[in-house]
Formats: sequence, structure tokens, C-alpha cells
Amino acid sequence: MTSDDDRDVLAAEYVLGTLDAAERAQAEALVRADASFATLVRGWEHRLNELHAGVEPVEPPPQLFERIRQRLAGAQPGGAAQVIELGEMRRRVARWRNFGTAMAALAAVLVALLVTSVMRPDLVPSRLRPAAEVAQAPAAGRLVAVLQQDAASPAFILTVDVDKRTMTVRRVAAQQPTGKSYELWLVSKQFPKPRSLGLVGQQEFTTGTALAAYQPETISDATYAVSLEPEGGSPTGEPTGAVLWGGKLIQAVPAARP
Amino acid sequence: MSMRTAAELVGLLRAVAGGDQAAFEALYAATCAKLYGVVLRILRRADLADEVMQEAYLKIWNSAGQFDPAVASPITWMVAIARNRAIDVARRKRDVSVEEAPEVLERAADIADPLAGRERSEELRRLLDCLGRLEPDQRRLMLLAYYNGLSREELATRTGRPVNTIKTWLRRSILAVRECLGS
Repeated sequence: MTSDDDRDVLAAEYVLGTLDAAERAQAEALVRADASFATLVRGWEHRLNELHAGVEPVEPPPQLFERIRQRLAGAQPGGAAQVIELGEMRRRVARWRNFGTAMAALAAVLVALLVTSVMRPDLVPSRLRPAAEVAQAPAAGRLVAVLQQDAASPAFILTVDVDKRTMTVRRVAAQQPTGKSYELWLVSKQFPKPRSLGLVGQQEFTTGTALAAYQPETISDATYAVSLEPEGGSPTGEPTGAVLWGGKLIQAVPAARP
Repeated sequence: MSMRTAAELVGLLRAVAGGDQAAFEALYAATCAKLYGVVLRILRRADLADEVMQEAYLKIWNSAGQFDPAVASPITWMVAIARNRAIDVARRKRDVSVEEAPEVLERAADIADPLAGRERSEELRRLLDCLGRLEPDQRRLMLLAYYNGLSREELATRTGRPVNTIKTWLRRSILAVRECLGS
């Protein structure tokens, strides 16, 4: 019984549909977090779904296509808000490349997924604000850092749930030069060197669980920075490119609420 | 499914990826009965199946550009999307009882019946050959799981065997099928 077999069996059972809801959520998180696992899943999808030949076609209700067409119309630019659902949100979550072994990451990934599920994109301001300004709306206990040089420049908005030790990075107008990756760092007096928190994905939102390795006080007090690194991240484990943006977390709203 | 070849479906998906709504409608017409059959069999409730179909075709519209004909055939790719959604819903809706339609389950457990007389792709032929090498009980379990989207627990209830046995059988079958297909 090898770990490779475990992964392949998990992928196959995910496709087959025999996992319970929690295991499915884990497998789905793995699909997003781990490209090699996603490849296993696609392989089993292709193999097992040949069995569709055994399913008798059934004509759906004639009005079904009209309903799809209407939802499609609502999903066009300008009308996107009402159709953004959990699945769409999850798809926005970019891959996180700095995971250790996939199985060890499972539990952590699940936490990230759950947090992402309840997190709404409007938790951080839709328009950029000066770095010192307190963000509006996030739930109690959530901290926000706006990593930005000035109000006109691109930015990363880091939202951290200190209790759950999870984070979401929102990329705002920061285009990534070809062949480069943005990497997020935690800078703390507790450590002699900056600690990598992983790469910022290409999508608007990236969630991560790298903070799970740190104490809440460390998370709250640290400075966060983004550097531009060679594709795939810093080869040395320390920032090699210029640190482009940095900032500290600020309390989004008072933690204590009646 | 109406008479469309895989190559035609590939062309339609490519057009859909470019935002062609007429192609999307043609793709829907060619595939909706197959996909509806797949999700209805898993969910056994028309209201749930309708909702899953809507979500599945929205996803097909949104991710048509990711379809890679080198990796999957158009219909297996679309079935995967629809089936995946249906199983998500089935896992959330525990009230969709297996006991509601026992006769459907019985039919699903028979490998010869659902596939009899149908044109088989080379891939399907190989898969069936490999499934055919499993112990009969284990083969039935795989098919019951695939066609009816049952969880291990539901399979255990259904077959009157402990969940651990189901888990062991599934694992053994999956690894055996993988090895058989790989050889």
C-alpha cells in the first residue's frame, strides 16, 4: 500500500462518486491545489466515464434550455453578481504551489476551502484605498493588509483570519510579467529571514494555509511583503527579487462585537 | 443523443469556447438527453436533475476552452462535469433515498444489460474487459457506484456488507482496473 496508490484510489473514488461529502471536499481541494492529483482525476474521468454508454438517454423538459440560456445571459459582463456561486468562487482560487506532500496538505487544504466558501469577494473594498485606510465590512477578528506603494499603483490585498490562520490574497491590477511569479513573504522579528507564504496565483483571489505554521501573535505582528521572483518562486527560499510591496495587518473592524 | 460525431462535438465545443451561442444550442441539443439520463439516474428527482443540468451546461459554457481533445472525448468530458455536479448534490441531499427506486439499482448492477447491443468505443471495450476480470460482486459494486452515484455507506447498506469491506473492494478493484488498463 503506497502513498501513490492512495492518491490514485482517492482520485478514482472521487470520480466514481463513492466518497462522502467531507472526503469529496478534500479531493476537490486537492484538485485545485495539486496539479498532479488533478491529472489523476482527469485520467479516471476519461476512463470511467466511457461507461456513460450504458445510460439510457432521457429527454429533459423542453423549457430547460431556456432556463440555461437565461442564466447564461445573466452571467454576461455586468450581470455576473447573481450567478457567482460557491463553485465559481472555488474556481477563482488559484493553485498554491508550495505544499508539501499532498496527503499531509489534505486537512489544511480543507480548512482553506471552507474558509473560501464562506468568504465573499466584497470582504475587502472593491476600489483601492490608500494603504493606511481601514478596510470596510470584513467580519470581526479579520485583519487586512493593503500591499501597495501608492494609491495609483497595482496592489495585493491580504486578508487574514488570525483565529483560523488562513489568508486570502486579492490581486488588484497587478499584471505578472511573463516568466515571473509573485511570492508572498512573512517578515517577523521571530525569524532571522523572511518566510515564504507561497506564490500569488494568476487569478484574482488566492487562498492559502501557510499561516497555519505560525502563532497568532506572530501573524498579527508580522510585516507582509510581495516580491517578484523567477517563475515558480524563489529558488533560494529567500526573496531574490526586489520586494515590491509591503505592509502590516490592520484590524478590519473591532474584534469584540456585541 | 442525436447523430453527431465526436469530431462534430469537438468543433462545437471549440465554437462555444469562442462564445458562439448557436453552437452552444447545437451542443446542448446533441448531448442533453445523455447528460439528463446520467444525472437523473443518480438523483432520481427531476427538480434536482434540472438544477444540476443548468449548472453543468453553465460550466460547459464557461470552461469549453479548457476542453482538450487529446485528453478526453467531448462526451466523456461533458458527462464528467454533469456527473460530478450530480454527485455533489446527492452527497448533500441525504433525503434522496436509495430505497425510492430499488429497481433502478438492480438494473444498474447488471453489466451486460446496460451496455448490450451498443456501439463500443475502443476505450469502453478495454474498460469492460478489465471490469470483466474482477470478481462478480466487486464488478457489480463498481457499476452500482458509477451508475447510481452511491457513497460507500450507501453501497454498504445496499449490499448488506460492512463499509470496510466496501472500501477494500473498491480499492482492490480500482488498482486492478488501473493495472489492467495500463498493460
